[in-house]
Parts: sequence; C-alpha cells; structure tokens
Amino acid sequence: MDIEAVKDQAGPRQFGPNDDMPEEYRRAATRMIQFHANSEVMGGYLDKEFTRHAPSLDRKLANTAKVQDEIGHAQLLYRAAETLGVKTREEMLDELKNGEGKFLNCFHYPVDSWYEAPMIDFFVDGGAMRRQATLKSTSWTPYAHAMDKVCFEEGFHVKHGESILRELMRGSKATQERTQETFEEWWPRILQFFGPTNDESTHNDFAQEVGLKTTSNDELRNSFLNLYIPKAEKYGLEIPESPRVFERDDGTMAVREDDLDWEEFWTIAKNDYEGSHEQIGSRRRRQEAVAWVRESLDGWEGSAAGTSQAAD
Amino acid sequence: MIWEVFRQEKPGDYHRHVGNVHAPDREMAKLFAQIQHARRMQTNSLWVVPQSEIGEVDPEDAAFGGRTDKSYRWAMTYNDIDASFAKEVEDSEAEQREAARTRREQLESEGDA
Repeated sequence: MDIEAVKDQAGPRQFGPNDDMPEEYRRAATRMIQFHANSEVMGGYLDKEFTRHAPSLDRKLANTAKVQDEIGHAQLLYRAAETLGVKTREEMLDELKNGEGKFLNCFHYPVDSWYEAPMIDFFVDGGAMRRQATLKSTSWTPYAHAMDKVCFEEGFHVKHGESILRELMRGSKATQERTQETFEEWWPRILQFFGPTNDESTHNDFAQEVGLKTTSNDELRNSFLNLYIPKAEKYGLEIPESPRVFERDDGTMAVREDDLDWEEFWTIAKNDYEGSHEQIGSRRRRQEAVAWVRESLDGWEGSAAGTSQAAD
Repeated sequence: MIWEVFRQEKPGDYHRHVGNVHAPDREMAKLFAQIQHARRMQTNSLWVVPQSEIGEVDPEDAAFGGRTDKSYRWAMTYNDIDASFAKEVEDSEAEQREAARTRREQLESEGDA
C-alpha cells in the first residue's frame, strides 16, 4: 500500500498486521505508541511514590492497584507497537533506560507529597483519558484494542483522583492552602500536557491524515479545559491568573501561549531537564536491582523451549 | 489433530473463538474452518491454532479476580464522585459496572453449585 492509499482508506481500526503498510506509516505509529507506552511506565514509577505518602490503607491499596494497571497498560502498548515490525519491546525498553525514549512532560517532575496525588491522578489522568478515548478510533487496530482495555480501567483512576482532591479540599484550612499551592505549581505543566496550540507540527498532521490520531491537540486541550476548570472550581481551587486562559470567539477555551515556559517544555522533550535525569535514572537503578528476575525468566524460557512435548 | 478456530467478523474487531475442526495440517484446518465456521457467517478473517498449543487456566486452578475484597479497584466504589461530567469516565464506569455484575452472577452461580 502506498501512502496515498493509506490516506484514502484511513479510518477507525482500518489497518492491522496483515496489511502491507508503508514505512512512513509504520514509523509514525511506532513513534506514537512507543511514546504512549513509555509514558505509562514513567507515570507508574512516578505514581508509586504516592503509596508511601497516602494517608490511609484504602488509599495505599487503591494507589498500588493503579500503579499495577499503568505498568499493565505499558505492556499492552509495547505489544501493540511491536506489531508494526519497526522495533522490538526490548529495543524500546533499552531506549527508555538509556534516556533516548520520550515520554509525557508531566512525568519529568519528581513528586514528594500527597498533595501532588490529585494533580497526577485527576488532572493529568483526566487529560490522558480524554486523549485515550479518541484513540479507540485510531487506524492501527492493535493500538485501538489496547485502548479498549486501558479505558475500561482508567475510570477508576480518574474517579479515585477526584476523590482525593475532594478529600483534601474538605480538610483543614492549611491542607486546602497546600493543595492550592501545589495546584498552582502543576497547572502550567498540565496545560502543556497537550503541547503548544499553535504548533500543529508535521508529525501531528501526518498522524491525522493516516488516521492514527483522530483529534488535534488543540481540540483536546479545549475540551479538557471546558470539563476540568469547573471541576477545579467546584472543590474551591482558584485557577491561577497566569497562564491566562480565555474564551475564543467561537466559545472554545484557549491558553495564552506566551505565559507558559516553553524553554522548559522543549528541554523536557529532549529528556534534558533536571527532573528527566532524576526520573530516568531512578527507574534505571530499580530496573538494575531486579535484573536477576528477568535473567532467571530468560534462562527458564531458554531451557524450557522445545521440552514441552517431553514434559507431557 | 484438532484446531481451534477464531473468527473476526469485521476489520478492526477481535478474533473470537467460535469452535474447532479436525484437520491433518494447517492448510486443511484453514479450509475446514472456512466451511464449518465462516460459511454464511459475516467473516473478515479466520485464525486456526493447534489445540495442543493452547494453555488454559480454569476455575479449578485459579479464583479469577480473587476472593478478597478489592472494591478499591472499582470506579463504582467512589460513588460520592459524579462520573457523568466526562463521557469517557462515565463509559469506563459503565463497563466496569457491567463486568462486576456478570462476575457477581458467576460467583453466585458457583455458590449454588
């Protein structure tokens, strides 16, 4: 299939491993799914910090379950990416380990308090879920199938995140103030989650033309603002004055781009932010600490291969 | 030799198990699968898999989903939170509610048995 045919036929769940897809499509889809898978891993590692900080056993259990889910999502997504035949799971995990693998901006900021939990679990996950729901209609079928399972589980994450926010904002005045401060720190990062408004980059155009993406970053940010600003306000959070959020002539919401720190964003995009080094490094050290588990699994797989008949 | 057959109705759908066929090799299995499981059925693609290659976990081996209370894993537990503000959250909760309902029915019927 050539690229023009792909653009003509592009639609929800239109292509799969049996189709002869052009290199350009397979590379673009791999880049997108690998980024998504990496983000699940790095989000999971970030989120596990909250288990320690969680104020009750219920919250600790729920948080542990959520981290398990995220790592499971990463596994589904690496498999979906592998079906494109560009990279193996091992190659993608190696890239993540050595700092080449890219992932969501919000997971480049180390966390160290419970007040940060709803910023990730409600706002970031809520934004991610908006995006993931649209990806059920992606043109690469294995990716869409992964999204079916991911979206099934994410409802718990977002509701649990909102439940934490609600609890904090009903706490003491000091708790409410700490939550507000934390929100102000995270709000610009959350707005940058969807990327720059005015930069519908070539990657994005191509991804939409071949049906990998069905919704632009701008549309997603807009719908996110429409849903989540009222939620924040409902619990008594004040939206910071800067970055300025405004209504466009068509009634949709937008952010004044100049109010956001794009230098930081692009440094993060290169994995070159201070927090990037910390997050990638701490994950790598934990990976190394459990290398013996992977090695013993590999050893077992090697020794068991071809003996299943004999074992019967 | 027995081959398990999985049929996909439309492009983009999951391949679902629909039955099995006797066949001496893969090519014959594909032919028989077409005749027995795809004829007059809406079909986009068929998979055949040697039955001996399938590993099964049944209720004797595992208590699926566990028997301990893991209500904290379900969206419905957080019922002081309204999911209806975002369609994708509402849909997810509806899917979880349906899964929990069918699972509860399964547990109840096992209890009867």
